[in-house]
Amino acid sequence: MINYLGNKILNTLIIIFLGAQCLIFFLNQKPLTKNFSQKNITVENFSSIVLSNSGITKIGSEKLNKIDEDNIYLEGNSYLENKEYKIYGKNISINLSEEISKSDENVEVINSMGLLKAQGFKNLDNDNKIFFKGEVEFVINK
Amino acid sequence: MSLISKLFFFFTLLFFSSNAYTESYVKAGESLIWDSENKSYTANGDVEFKNDKFLAFADKMIADYIEENNDEIFTVIELFGNVVIEFEEETFKGNYAIYTRDNNIIKLTGDVSIESPTRLLTGNELIADIDNNKRILNSANKESLVEVLLENNAND
Repeated sequence: MINYLGNKILNTLIIIFLGAQCLIFFLNQKPLTKNFSQKNITVENFSSIVLSNSGITKIGSEKLNKIDEDNIYLEGNSYLENKEYKIYGKNISINLSEEISKSDENVEVINSMGLLKAQGFKNLDNDNKIFFKGEVEFVINK
Repeated sequence: MSLISKLFFFFTLLFFSSNAYTESYVKAGESLIWDSENKSYTANGDVEFKNDKFLAFADKMIADYIEENNDEIFTVIELFGNVVIEFEEETFKGNYAIYTRDNNIIKLTGDVSIESPTRLLTGNELIADIDNNKRILNSANKESLVEVLLENNAND
């Protein structure tokens, strides 16, 4: 009888310990993941290469701010460069998942046709379209 | 020749040579869209376009291009709304214009006019053949066809 009760108590204690271990493991994991994804990262004098559907794009800026997993913000003088164009601007937002970059600041673009100046841009990389805002001047190479 | 004279000559030459260079450009007051998939540029709002042939103004412009030897070259230029094209001493006006680089022809439609130092003609359609210096102006009722041959000494 005593042995029977002892085994039962022991099994109950083992189950309680295992449950507690699972609870501790779960509570430890969840906050860690959450904190990591929300963490903002800032890097100064940054340059990197982004691989996307449209090819390789080189990006750089005075200061890079990682907003979240999909969004980065190029603060200060910044550039985007690929095989088709070089975009020089300021304060450029980039959505990596949607492959959209944009800025409301003055921008200069060099492509194989010439030099373009505008008062802002929105680059839809997936659609191969760049919208230039405001007064635009595009001087064409001879 | 003194040093000052040489410097004056040099800067005068530099000034005239820089002005002799005619640059091509597109200006837009509202926006410009570069569509690299369809190889076109769309300019909106007080558009001004200049190439080695003419200077054009319109509300909107769509320019198609091709790539040749790593360069982009405009092949077809469409102008929409309040179109004004200045070519040498002539001014063409219309509601719509299309310029094709291959044959150097500008075609204007909708209340068109052609103005030169000596005359003003109006109609519904104007075809300006730049290479052959030939203008064809179609009238509104299509019963008469006016062909204007412009001589270099038109002022005489």
